[in-house]
Amino acid sequence: MVAGAGAFLAWLGAALVVLSDGRRGLALGTFVAAAGIGLVSFSTAGPPASAALLLGGLVAGARRLTTGPPGWAIMPSGSTPRLVLCVAGGLIALWVGIAVMTGDDGGLRFALIAVIGLAVARALASEDTPTVLTAVSVLALAVGAGVGLGTESSNIAPYAMAGALAATSNWIPNRTPRAA
Amino acid sequence: MQPEAVELVAFAAVALVLALLVAQPAASRRALLVRGVVGLAGTAAVVAVPTFDLALLVLLAIALLHSAIGGKRSFAARLRLPVLGVGLLALAALFARASGPDVLGRFAAVGLAAGMAALVGVLPYLHSFDADEPVSSSPIAWLAYIGPAAAAVIVADSHGLLTGDAGAAFGASLVGIGLVNMVWGSVAAWLTETTAAAWRYSFTADWGLALCGFGITLVDGKRAALIVLFSVVLGRMPLYLASREAVREKVVTERPINLLVAAALAGSAPFAGFSARVLLLRGATQLYWPLALVLAAGMLLWLPGSLRLGRSLGVPRGRHALGVAAVLALNVAVGLYPLPLLAAARL
Repeated sequence: MVAGAGAFLAWLGAALVVLSDGRRGLALGTFVAAAGIGLVSFSTAGPPASAALLLGGLVAGARRLTTGPPGWAIMPSGSTPRLVLCVAGGLIALWVGIAVMTGDDGGLRFALIAVIGLAVARALASEDTPTVLTAVSVLALAVGAGVGLGTESSNIAPYAMAGALAATSNWIPNRTPRAA
Repeated sequence: MQPEAVELVAFAAVALVLALLVAQPAASRRALLVRGVVGLAGTAAVVAVPTFDLALLVLLAIALLHSAIGGKRSFAARLRLPVLGVGLLALAALFARASGPDVLGRFAAVGLAAGMAALVGVLPYLHSFDADEPVSSSPIAWLAYIGPAAAAVIVADSHGLLTGDAGAAFGASLVGIGLVNMVWGSVAAWLTETTAAAWRYSFTADWGLALCGFGITLVDGKRAALIVLFSVVLGRMPLYLASREAVREKVVTERPINLLVAAALAGSAPFAGFSARVLLLRGATQLYWPLALVLAAGMLLWLPGSLRLGRSLGVPRGRHALGVAAVLALNVAVGLYPLPLLAAARL
């Protein structure tokens, strides 16, 4: 039940990052995605690791609140293709993660496929630096959470690294390209 | 740690010294040194970390730092494909680890090959390129500095992720991507309009050979891939740096040094590229002889593009001449006697 709620939150957060153009919307998406990834990782990674992911996401979201395009700008006009991407991407991730793949941790698999797919799609489609950085911070959290599928080890290093990368990525200065 | 990847990091360190030697007078050597050392530390971290997931996170951090360097392309344009590469590699790892039907393993294999191509910046995921951008912030940094060691790590880790049939699918995907890059890169290096773009395509052509070497799962293939990557990091990249001023001024010369450089770039004997090609053909013959025929035909395409690039070097003088001589000497040494290089990589 907890893993299922976490997986849904992770998808919802990544979808908010895809659908938002304003700093508040992007920050909310980061908070929700981090909460979801932390929750869904809890059973495989343990409390310290999921706390590291959650903390990374909180710092990333807090930083996003202070920089970037103002306002919420969730689902601005012309965002129908993005909405379709979020819904279709979520359904495909659900099918692959739960029906095609077998075994435990179905919620984690769904969350990772959905978040990685949506975050990469957002980074590919956007020209706006704060938006791309937000997508990268969410991607870092998902990559870190993926460790839970591979090993039984209680090593916290990958989770801490993912949290740190997510937290710091939004601090990268926004430089405009030089003409020469 | 993979000895092959460690060796590629050492090549990158030597390449940084050569880059400082042949850098344009107008370029800031201090900035090049700082960026080069940071990139080298990041590449070493990719090799040193114990798990594939940590390597992916380090690669994502390198991509962020590389994109933050000032340049002519936008931040998003520089970050886009490395992020796609990391995403594809992460999904591939997930597919490889999940239990389910066999087809999941094949998806993982294709994802690993595609992710590696996107990360390095070879076809079908060429990074956007601006000829006037500093080399440290251009896609050449991925192709010739960070990419070789990262690719070696990905290929080595794939053995732990993929099993049996999926491993064969990964090899076949690499050979397929490699052949496309060989043909497209060498023809584009010959026919493309600008010489700077021709240099970039020549890197992708060399990567085609390296990917074919990685894909041929026999030891000769791995040996060939290592020597090709040596010739990319310690051959093509320093020569590209040495040629940038002449390319900008559109100087074309046909002195003996230009022919020597063209021969080195084309992989003629006695340069390193020749021994790599011999090993690759030997490996392909053992695996599936028609592949060797295709590879041999593709290797002929290097000649016209290399003659063009050799002429674009101009006449190196002073430090440039010293750097070019050092590059050629290194490539002749490895071409004539590659055994120490291969032994250090335990190949």
